[in-house]
Amino acid sequence: MKTENQDQTQPMVKITNLQKSFGDLTVLKDINLEIAASEVVVIIGPSGSGKSTLLRCVNHLEKPSGGEIYIEGELINDTTLKTKAFETHLNRIRCKVGMVFQQFNLFPHMTVIENVIEAPIHVLKQDRKKARKKAEELLTQVGLAEKLNSYPAQLSGGQQQRVAIARSLAMEPKLMLFDEVTSALDPELVGDVLRVMEDLALGGMTMMVVTHEMGFAEKVGDRVIFMADGFVVEDSSPQEMFSNPKEIRTQQFLAEI
Amino acid sequence: MLDWGVIVHYFPFLLKGAVLTLQISILSLLLGIACGLIAALCKLSKNPLLRWPAAFYIWLIRSTPLLVQLFIIYFGLPQIGIDLGPFLSGVIGLGLNVGAYNAETIRGGIVSIPVGQTEAARSLAMSSSLAMRRIILPQALRVIIPPMGNNFIILIKDTSLVSTITLVELTLTAQRFIGSTYKPFEMYLMAAFLYAVMTTTASLLLAKLEKRTSRGHR
Repeated sequence: MKTENQDQTQPMVKITNLQKSFGDLTVLKDINLEIAASEVVVIIGPSGSGKSTLLRCVNHLEKPSGGEIYIEGELINDTTLKTKAFETHLNRIRCKVGMVFQQFNLFPHMTVIENVIEAPIHVLKQDRKKARKKAEELLTQVGLAEKLNSYPAQLSGGQQQRVAIARSLAMEPKLMLFDEVTSALDPELVGDVLRVMEDLALGGMTMMVVTHEMGFAEKVGDRVIFMADGFVVEDSSPQEMFSNPKEIRTQQFLAEI
Repeated sequence: MLDWGVIVHYFPFLLKGAVLTLQISILSLLLGIACGLIAALCKLSKNPLLRWPAAFYIWLIRSTPLLVQLFIIYFGLPQIGIDLGPFLSGVIGLGLNVGAYNAETIRGGIVSIPVGQTEAARSLAMSSSLAMRRIILPQALRVIIPPMGNNFIILIKDTSLVSTITLVELTLTAQRFIGSTYKPFEMYLMAAFLYAVMTTTASLLLAKLEKRTSRGHR
């Protein structure tokens, strides 16, 4: 057994020598990263730089081609496990890692509240009543208490995305991954989603956020990572990154946006 | 003109034949759903030991006539010691046949669901079978039901083929009475009418089911 003290110093996420290729195309070349508990890390960079792929490797939606990813000290891409054991291992870790997608990916055949209670009931085996109560709290927290029985198709993009966040939070994750969650939204709907994320950050959630919202990165991020061509080019505080970027690539990128 | 006396007298007998047609239809429909779902999931599997037999089954059924398949099961199999009798032969033959068509329909429905749905489910720690059962299949059903309904309408009509393996269902009942009454027009019209009643009822039920599975869609 590990002691309390070790748990506190243990990073939430530790990535070493991560590589990912799709056929001949190498998207992630050599990523090394540590993220502490409660830290909010914003990942920026030009399209094709591997930001989304990095995020998708963290919960194993993409299988790394090389390197290791540890969540709370546990190796997620444990290649020694057989198929069945690996799925169990993966799902145990995925319970701790929530993910929100650019295209929301709500389940269209379920109402808002059914979307939120689905995994708690069928994965965590929670009691239906308890799951509903928790879901109602979460949906109130994201400002959608009125929409419990609506279907996703009846909601705006911003509302759908907030449901998606509540759906992830219902699993009580320790780490949240946000993959360009405001990119598909009309500009006037972006604010509500960012506010929910900011509240979450203030509440101490560990977050990895891929975004083009530099205002959010500056205000909410504890750290900003600039990625290009499959590498982490610069890793610094938001103040440093936006007022005094060290690398030429970073300067070029920030000048263009 | 039509001999209404014959129609009134023989209608109850044909109705009895229609009951057998209905029984065969329903049983082979159930078998066809099971075979179709299993074959579709196997064909989508990464494991070639599941994928290849499923592909072979679908190919074999779709590339040969139903009548020949029924003859192989009813007349052929007894030669190697498997005697299923007319009823089981009919149900199995029809069920396996519609199953192969259902398999392609179901597979098409499953692959039509955006990959983001699977990713969302998996990121919520659902196992692949849970994601299939709770997230993918219910959505695929909406796409699957109309074409699968067509398969079933065709199945009801194809049950007339089992008259050739001595099952006294609707068509063979009609044929038998033609032998004694010499009234083919009346007999076949009655048979056609009863088939139409069954297929139309099936269509109406399917339309209802289609409405229920499109929950959440505008």
